[in-house]
Amino acid sequence: MTEYIKLIDLTKCTGCRGCQVACKNWNGLPAEKTQFIGSLQNPADLSYDTWCLIRFDEIENGSGLKWVMRHDACMHCDWPACVKACPSPGALVKTETGAVVHDPNFCIGCKACTVACPFDIPRYSAVNENISKCTLCYDRITDGRKPACVTSCPTGCLTFGPKAEMQVRARARAAEISGVVYPNNPKYQTNVLYIMPAEIRAAQLQHMNPNPKMPTTVLWWKNLFKPFTLIGMGAVAGAAMLHYMVRGPHEPEKKEGGE
Amino acid sequence: MSGKKEGMVYVTTLQERIVHWLLAGSCLFALLTGLGLMFHSWDFIAALLGGHYAMKWMHIFSGVVFAFSLAGASVMWWEHCKFVPEDAEWVKKAGGYLWDAHDLPPGGMYNAGQKMFFWTVFIFGIIIVISGLIMFNPLIFPVTLARWAYMLHAASVMVIAAFFIIHLYLGTFGNPGTVQIMFHGWATREYCEFHKGKWLAEREKKGGEESQAA
Ligand code: HEM
Ligand code: SF4
Ligand code: SF4
Ligand code: SF4
Repeated sequence: MTEYIKLIDLTKCTGCRGCQVACKNWNGLPAEKTQFIGSLQNPADLSYDTWCLIRFDEIENGSGLKWVMRHDACMHCDWPACVKACPSPGALVKTETGAVVHDPNFCIGCKACTVACPFDIPRYSAVNENISKCTLCYDRITDGRKPACVTSCPTGCLTFGPKAEMQVRARARAAEISGVVYPNNPKYQTNVLYIMPAEIRAAQLQHMNPNPKMPTTVLWWKNLFKPFTLIGMGAVAGAAMLHYMVRGPHEPEKKEGGE
Repeated sequence: MSGKKEGMVYVTTLQERIVHWLLAGSCLFALLTGLGLMFHSWDFIAALLGGHYAMKWMHIFSGVVFAFSLAGASVMWWEHCKFVPEDAEWVKKAGGYLWDAHDLPPGGMYNAGQKMFFWTVFIFGIIIVISGLIMFNPLIFPVTLARWAYMLHAASVMVIAAFFIIHLYLGTFGNPGTVQIMFHGWATREYCEFHKGKWLAEREKKGGEESQAA
């Protein structure tokens, strides 16, 4: 099975929200009653029923005011913090396509993934007692089709294809506009990439982690304390047995060996 | 209730035993259900308890019982577990557990090792309860705090689980005559002289071994 990448070219987004609607449509997600928040962004945030959202930022830099429209959804991390944190087998799975898929049947609604995710993606519903998020349209891409959002995109901002090919394209396009590919942490790669023009930095945009990585607390939790819970229990149980064999029970009259 | 038994001393009251069992039982159950959440390979625990979703709620419920019994145990044992000067002597001799040590200072209700166990459970128990409550609804807290909660919960589990096993060994095989104190409350006089000499003497000075039971 091929591993895929979804590429988001920030220079090409016009904020039409075709992807937002297509995502709802394909995934059968209901529309939300929203409120005007003084911005073109609507709804205000991702939610249980909104898996991708066009975020709107006004940033100021040397060349004056700039509008930035950004398609925001799950990044489908190579080494996903959400999967690492999840206590319920099968609820979150990194698939061979690169997509990190969520199965509500196995989700116990513990919210650990929402805390661990470096991109703040999973959204919890108290009514359903589980979370939801973008699936990279796993049901479409395993059927040879592109994700619904990509199919709907009229400008070529969203593209989709095999990983190696898309990585080459991303680098070429970044070089062409003297921009960068986001994220660029070799230790925390993703199956979704952004092309960032030079004049836009991640730190200037809302809800964009300028330094995405596996949270240190998750590493300590899962790679240190978790194994050492077992090692510690095993070690003291072994030590107790050894103590019993060597020293025996602790009693007033101890029988000394040589007497 | 306590009555009098030839050659026996009534060490713990019924209330004390109930609180202790609640504390131990809820801790063990929270530990087992928690390990079921921690290790996917141990999903037999979830299978036995009716799935991960049910196990999550059992975990939280036993955690709350643990919190209340920890509060009760702390009120009950606080005075007994304050360190006294003789404890340093006991620690230097490792309580006679690791090598032959003579002339251990006569023990109070609890020896220095037991006191250390109590304070460990007290401190890490508070951390585990507070972090657990944050993990119950992490979304209302700043994400950094919530992340620390998950990490500290696991760190405290590591500590308490190891100490729990030591405590289990020392309360049973390691010290014959101890475990019955948790069931019916009585220990032999010989046992109390050996383990709780100072406590026994003080109590008898106050008048009668059965008089304190209440
Ligand atoms: C008020 C008390 C407690 C509450 C509210 C609580 C809550 C929680 C919650 C919500 C989780 C789920 C984390 C997840 O699913 O990712 C959890 C995990 C866990 N808890 Fe507790 N807990 C409490 C006390 C305890 C106690 C007393 C112990 C054991 C001595 C314990 C051991 C564990 C373990 C081993 C895990 C698994 C952590 C992991 O996956 O790394 N908890 N707890
Ligand atoms: S972006 Fe968040 S939810 Fe998506 S795969 Fe990465 S860690 Fe998981
Ligand atoms: S909320 Fe569901 S998907 Fe997220 S960590 Fe918990 S069980 Fe896993
Ligand atoms: S890949 Fe599919 S699920 Fe994800 S944002 Fe696009 S349409 Fe929605």
